[in-house]
Order: sequence, then C-alpha cells, then structure tokens
Amino acid sequence: MTTSEIVLVGVLALLGAGLYGLLITRNLIKVVIALQILVKGGLLALVAAGEASGQTNLGQSLAMTVIVADTVVAVVGLALAIQARRLLGTLDLKALSNLRG
Amino acid sequence: MTDWLIVLTIGIPWLGALAVWLTGDARPQLQHRLAVIFAVAAGAAAVALLPSTSSEVALRIEVGSIFGDFTFVPDGLGVFLAVVASVVGSLAVIFSVDYMHGEAQLGRYYTLVLLFIGAMVGLVLSGSMLLLFIFWEITALCSYALISFYNDDPKAVAGGIKALVITQFGGLGMLVGALIAYSYLGDYQISTFLAEADTLPSDVLAVMAFGFLAAAAAKSAQVPFHTWLPGAMEAPTPVSALIHAATMVNAGVYLLARFYPAFEGVSGWTTAVILVGMVSALLAAFMAIYANDLKRALAYSTISQLGYMVYAVGTGAIFASQFHLLSHAVFKALLFLAAGAVIHTVGTRDMRQMGGLGKQLPFVRNVFIIGALALAGLPFVNGFWSKELVLEYGYKHGPLWAYVGMLIGAGLTALYTVRMVWMVFFGRSQKRGHLHDAGPAMRVALGVLAVGTLTSWLLIGGFGEMLEENLPFHHLHVESMATLLEEVVTAPATYLALGVVAVGLLLWAWRDPLAMISAGLWPLGEAATHDFGFEWLNARIVAGTRAAAGALRTTQTGWLNWNVAGIIGGLLIVLVFLALGA
Repeated sequence: MTTSEIVLVGVLALLGAGLYGLLITRNLIKVVIALQILVKGGLLALVAAGEASGQTNLGQSLAMTVIVADTVVAVVGLALAIQARRLLGTLDLKALSNLRG
Repeated sequence: MTDWLIVLTIGIPWLGALAVWLTGDARPQLQHRLAVIFAVAAGAAAVALLPSTSSEVALRIEVGSIFGDFTFVPDGLGVFLAVVASVVGSLAVIFSVDYMHGEAQLGRYYTLVLLFIGAMVGLVLSGSMLLLFIFWEITALCSYALISFYNDDPKAVAGGIKALVITQFGGLGMLVGALIAYSYLGDYQISTFLAEADTLPSDVLAVMAFGFLAAAAAKSAQVPFHTWLPGAMEAPTPVSALIHAATMVNAGVYLLARFYPAFEGVSGWTTAVILVGMVSALLAAFMAIYANDLKRALAYSTISQLGYMVYAVGTGAIFASQFHLLSHAVFKALLFLAAGAVIHTVGTRDMRQMGGLGKQLPFVRNVFIIGALALAGLPFVNGFWSKELVLEYGYKHGPLWAYVGMLIGAGLTALYTVRMVWMVFFGRSQKRGHLHDAGPAMRVALGVLAVGTLTSWLLIGGFGEMLEENLPFHHLHVESMATLLEEVVTAPATYLALGVVAVGLLLWAWRDPLAMISAGLWPLGEAATHDFGFEWLNARIVAGTRAAAGALRTTQTGWLNWNVAGIIGGLLIVLVFLALGA
C-alpha cells in the first residue's frame, strides 16, 4: 500500500468510527468523544488533500483552524455535560431532549 | 461624476435611515426634520442624474467568484423610475410629518421608509440580475415591516406576512431565472443577457420568461397574486401611497419592461402578459365598484391601473406603459395622500360614514378631484394622455379581445371613481363636529402632486427621447411631443375610449333609474366583495400548507441518533447520484 492509500483508509476508519458513535450513543460525553474522532478524520483528509494537490501549506493551515474550532466544541460540549449532570442529574440525550416537533 | 450621483441617490436615504434610527424616539421633532431633509436630498440627487443618462455601466463593484460584478447602469428606464421613487417618496415623507404627528416609534417608521426608497432606487439602477434580486428582496422586507407597522393589530400583522409570503414566492421565479441565465451565459449582467438571449435553448428561455412573469405579477399585485395589496391597506396611509405609487408595485412592471426584448419571442409569453393585465384590470375594477372602504377601493384601482401597464408591455408598448406608470405614480400618490388626509380628520375608512365632506375640507376635495379626473382618464390631465396612448397602441398592435376588455375597464374605472368622489365629498352630510382641513405639511405634498397631475404629461417628449437614446435592446421609436399629442387627439380610439368613460359616468348619474338592473347583478356584487374566490383560494393554500407541516412534524424527533442517520442517508444519496454521473 502506498502512503496515500494508508491515509485514505485512516480517514475512512476515523470518519466511520465517529459516525457510528454518533449513531448509537445516547451519552453526552460519548457524543463529544465521537465528534472528536470524526473531526480527526476530517483533519487527516484536509492535510492529505492539501498534500495531494500540491498545496501543503493551505491544507495544513486549514487543519490548524479546524483544530482551534474543534477544541472549542469539545470544551463547550463537556461544560454542557457537566452542567446537565449537575442540574438535571442525567447525561441521557433522550431524557435531555426538548426538541421534539 | 455619474457614479457618485448613483452612490448618493441610494446612499442618502440609507444614511438618513441610520440617522433617524440613532436619533431615538425621545426627539420626534428632530426625527421628522431629519427624515424630510434626507428624503428631499435623495430626490434632488435622483433628479441630478437625469442629464447624465447612458446605457454604459457607471459604477462597477467587483465582488468576484460566482457573484460576478455588481454593476449600476443609469439608463433612461432606470433613472426615470429612480426619480419617481425618490421624488414621490420624499413627498410621502413630507406628508408624514403631519400624518404621523404624535405617533409612537417614529424611528422605526422613518427608518423603514427611507430604507425602502433607497432599495427601490438600487433595484431600478442595478445592471446585474443578482443585485437586482437582492434589492428586490430588500423592498419586500421593508414593505412587510411597514404594512405591519401597527404591530399590536393582528390584521396589520397578517397583512404584512401575506405580502411577504406572496412577493417572496414570486421572487423565487426571478432567482431561478437569474441562475439559469448565469449557468448558460456565465454572467449576471442584464445587458449580456438581453444581447445573447437568442443563444439560449427556447424551452429554457420560456422557463425564465414565465418565472419573471410570476415575479412581476406577485410584485405588481396582478391576478392571481393580487390578494396581498388590499391587505396592505392596514399600513399608515403615507406608506400605502409609497407602496402603490412610488416603489413596490412599479418594480413588477419595470421588470417586464426591462426584459421585454429577451422574452418577446417566447411563444405565448406576450399573450400571457396581455391576459394577466386584462384580467387584473377588469376584476379589480369590479371589486373597486363594490368596495366601501376608501383605501380598499383605491387599492383595487391600483391593481386595475397596473393591469393597464402590464397589458401595454404585452402589446409591445414599452413607452406607453412607462408613461402611464409615471402618470399613475403622480395621481395615485395624490389620491392616497388626499384619502389619508380625509381618514386622518374623520377617523374612519368607511365611505358610507363620510358623505358631504367637500364643504368642510375644500382643499382636500379639490386636489382629490384632480386626481380622480386623472384616474378616470378625462382630458386633459396626465392620466388621460397616458391611458389613451396605452389604448391606442393596444388597438393597433394588440389582439382585439384584449382591447375590448381594456375599454370596458376604462368605463368601469370612470364609474368607481365618480362613486368614490361622490360618497366621500358629496351626497348626504353626516352630523359631525368641526373638522380641520389638511395641515401645512400635508398641503405642501398634496399641492405639489396636484400640480404634477395637471402638468406631468408635458414631459412626454423629453421622456420619450430619454428612453429612445438609452435602451439599445428595446428599439424604441418615440415621436416628438407634438406628434404624440396630435396622434392622441386625432385618433378615433381616443374618442371611443372617451365615449366608454362617458357611459361609465352616466351609469352613476342614472343609478336610481338603473337600480333594477344593478339589483339584478347581485351575484356579481357578491362575487366582487368576496374577491372572486381568490381569498378563499389563498386560505385553502395556507390551510393545506399548515396541514402538511403538521403531518411532517413527526419526523422531527429531536434525537441526535435519528438526525445523524438522516445526515448519513443524505450523504449516501448524493454519493449514489455522483457515482451514476447524473
């Protein structure tokens, strides 16, 4: 396998794992973890695409930007989880959901 | 120089909007003053644009990528409508000083009015379809907010939402058209499109043509999209004048006139335009005859007169349609503002409770009668010349059935106009206390408009030259002023139309002997007061949409897993499409 094939398999594996996690879990902390895995797959894809199109700098700087945004998502998500557990006593999304149409 | 004038004409009202907003409602006097200053300055800037009309791009803003260049073209058609919007708009603002005296939330009112005027100027001057669409939507938004100005009145809010929904629906037709043009020509410029419209496949061009017709019909309140205009009567009266005369509804006719050269070859398009215009003119005239609300009757007359303009575009009489637009803008603003003065003093909009106001409000009566003469198309005010021009051209170049329809419409117009004047200013006087005639600011606005109604037809020659020189794709051949006027005066069509108008007037004069016949026509009256079923159709569509939305609510579970499944499913569908190479 060439490097790019290995990277592609990695991207698909990370994206798949993240999406699978989002599909099955109802625990807020696990949702944050699944999101992290998903975004890492995206990051890897960005860097690899930049490399492949000859714009290494662009791909890597975009990846840096995503890392910053992604970190904020993780921090806010975990803070929400803590508050939800403290105030409502549960991390179950089904119990927390108020958005039913 | 021209580019700066364009920036000023759009920028001054918008700057004024900001200034009035920042002044705050604690200082209403300053708000009135600022609004008038900025509105008049914008009108002056628009008039200053008149000598420098040209068909070249005067201002180009390079936005880049898929948005293309945002351009402004000060050609005859655009500048003329910009002048109408900002001058009539500024008169409406002057009128508001008296009309809105002592009202709360003036900041919101004036800000939206000025924003509205600026957006309308931008709409008519923009040379890019995408920019046109953006300004189009800004005017829709402003009209919505102004119709709902009295936002504690459920009827006003409903009217605003109705106007927004219907004009948005039409706007979609225009957006689709603009995107189609872009995908085929790689450019949003109107001039490119008009030059290369022949290169598009004919069915694609037909989609665009009918999309633009839907957009124009929705904006200009033509059948079947006319129902929002009577509902818009809940707005303060100067806003009604603004929507009816200066801004909003003219945009639709402008759109048809602007794109006429590209669509004239599409089979069935001109017939559809003529049909829309004729049906609107006739149905709205019937509804106006049976309306008892003064503003509602005027609203129906607007739909009817816009029908004349749309009909004129359909017969290829671009010049006549725009000339009637000019006349209509002046006399309808006059009629609306005069009606506003009446409503302001009497405190009701029901004509049955007015009657005999002429003696108490002599000034308003006189200017209203001048406007009414123009609406009925009687010599020699501006409405006469433009309407005769429309009818004459329609007789020569349009189908006969449509011409007959429009003639009947002219008779009905005379009938409902004289009925309106009679019910408000003459007839039996009601017992009421002392009434104040219009205030000074109202008199200024009404006086200017009355003089305009009496004299604006003198501009016919210069107006024709301006359109002829700057519209390279329309191939207009406008005669000199003397020839045009002579043509109208000598044409047999004119006397035929005047005869029909006279019949309309006689019908009113003999209404008592004819009572038997009019009583026999009760099903017509019944249908007219119920908007010929279009309101019912509207209500059905709204109910159907709500029911569908209710049924679809079950898919909104609010569960994360379910939503992620939806996202993955959507992604798979896209992937399958891409894999199939669709």
